[in-house]
Amino acid sequence: MIKLLKCEFMKTRRRYVFVTALVITAAMLAWIYPRHRSADLLRLGWMANLYELPLINSIFMPLLSIIVSSRLCDIEHKGAMLKQLAVTEKRGQIYDAKLLYGLAIMMFCVGLSWGMTIAFGYIAGFEGGPPIRLYLLYLLLTAAPTIAVYIFQHTLSLCFKNQAVTFFTGAIGTFFGTFSMFLPQLPWLRGSLIWGYYGALSFVGLFDWSKDDRYKLAHFDVIGVDWKFFAALIFICAAIYIIGREIFKRKEL
Amino acid sequence: MLLKLLNAERMKLKRSPVWLAFLIMPIIPAALGTANYLYQKEVLTREWLSLWTQHTLFTDYFFLPITLGIYCAYIMRSEHMNNNWNKVFTIPARRSSVFSAKLITATLMLLFSMIWICALFVISGYIAGLTNPPWLTVARWCAFGTLGGMVTVSIQILISMNVKSFALPVGISFAGGLSGLVFLAKNMGHIWPYSLMSYGMNANAPQELAQSGCGQFILICVLYTAFFTITGGVIAARRDIS
Repeated sequence: MIKLLKCEFMKTRRRYVFVTALVITAAMLAWIYPRHRSADLLRLGWMANLYELPLINSIFMPLLSIIVSSRLCDIEHKGAMLKQLAVTEKRGQIYDAKLLYGLAIMMFCVGLSWGMTIAFGYIAGFEGGPPIRLYLLYLLLTAAPTIAVYIFQHTLSLCFKNQAVTFFTGAIGTFFGTFSMFLPQLPWLRGSLIWGYYGALSFVGLFDWSKDDRYKLAHFDVIGVDWKFFAALIFICAAIYIIGREIFKRKEL
Repeated sequence: MLLKLLNAERMKLKRSPVWLAFLIMPIIPAALGTANYLYQKEVLTREWLSLWTQHTLFTDYFFLPITLGIYCAYIMRSEHMNNNWNKVFTIPARRSSVFSAKLITATLMLLFSMIWICALFVISGYIAGLTNPPWLTVARWCAFGTLGGMVTVSIQILISMNVKSFALPVGISFAGGLSGLVFLAKNMGHIWPYSLMSYGMNANAPQELAQSGCGQFILICVLYTAFFTITGGVIAARRDIS
């Protein structure tokens, strides 16, 4: 496996996969942070982040997953390399190595955006310190849907030579996930597709916001994590991995 | 010759998965946007206009640029695969015509997408219980959205021609859509190529296109499209067969 991972690293050298992922993460951070915040938002800053970021993640993380998985798998499709690889290595191991390599890039980006979120909070001058326990929970609940989405995209990218299929499926899912966050009246909608879990697992709510006073009287409170959704997501992750790996193993190359 | 090239592009897109996505993708914002409109009817009081903001929310900044990026990357992918550029550039046709044919094909796909988005908007409006759709305004949003989208398409076709990867141009298109939102927020959406589509469609944007600014908008779109098309044609003509 180590040899296969090294192999992945060599194949992606000078292909700027990691740089592309970093640029997208940087674009995400640049889009969120350099803006004027009122005194009320600076007061509520740390909790406001936890409320707002799942929506941003629901757009950026799935798109990052599509791009990273497609870039990693397209290398094999372009040179018809899967056929040659499958002769010398076990297909399951090829699937695992590529998945691990891609997931490492994704988790680095998740960690980076998490760290930068805290750093930007200090730079912007948010009142007090970050609620570390809640931020760690946020990290876990961002990483989990990202892993599920990445495994799904990875399977599609490996199984379909035509990367347009991967992109469109991912874009449709992302679209669905983002929009489902605007319909809290229909909680089942968020839980019905993996892209909606960024919303399903968000645990901070905004209260007492009004059009006139805006954030003056508003406050953010923990509404609790729906662990049923988390358990469902873990199950879905495992199911996608097992089924995806099996499909790849049986696929005619 | 251009017609023959267009026909060839049409044949390459036959039975492509792109069409399935073209049909399905706009249904999601239409369905969920309408549901959101119905749930928040007491706040969203401007009827058709409010419904339009719900339909185009996120669509214009994120998903339409991505869709256009995929259309263009897909059109160019057929040539990047199996060294097909060599075959394309040895047919008795001007290289700039090859580029133009691809650009026109992508623009037609954009136009169809716009018509489909607008058709879904009107259907959703009727389902939501609205009457008397503002036909002229909808047609204007659709036409100006197509015009603004043509600028994005011309850039994306140019990028996709020069970048072999499928993912990278789509990523650039996504970043372009994001930058479009930033420029709109800075009241500079009328001059930034990636903002023009949202600006033309009046898609819940911080900066709105006034009636008086239509002439300027059309001129900017035409100039940008012409610039990127000519650049693409020149690059294609000078390109070495690898």
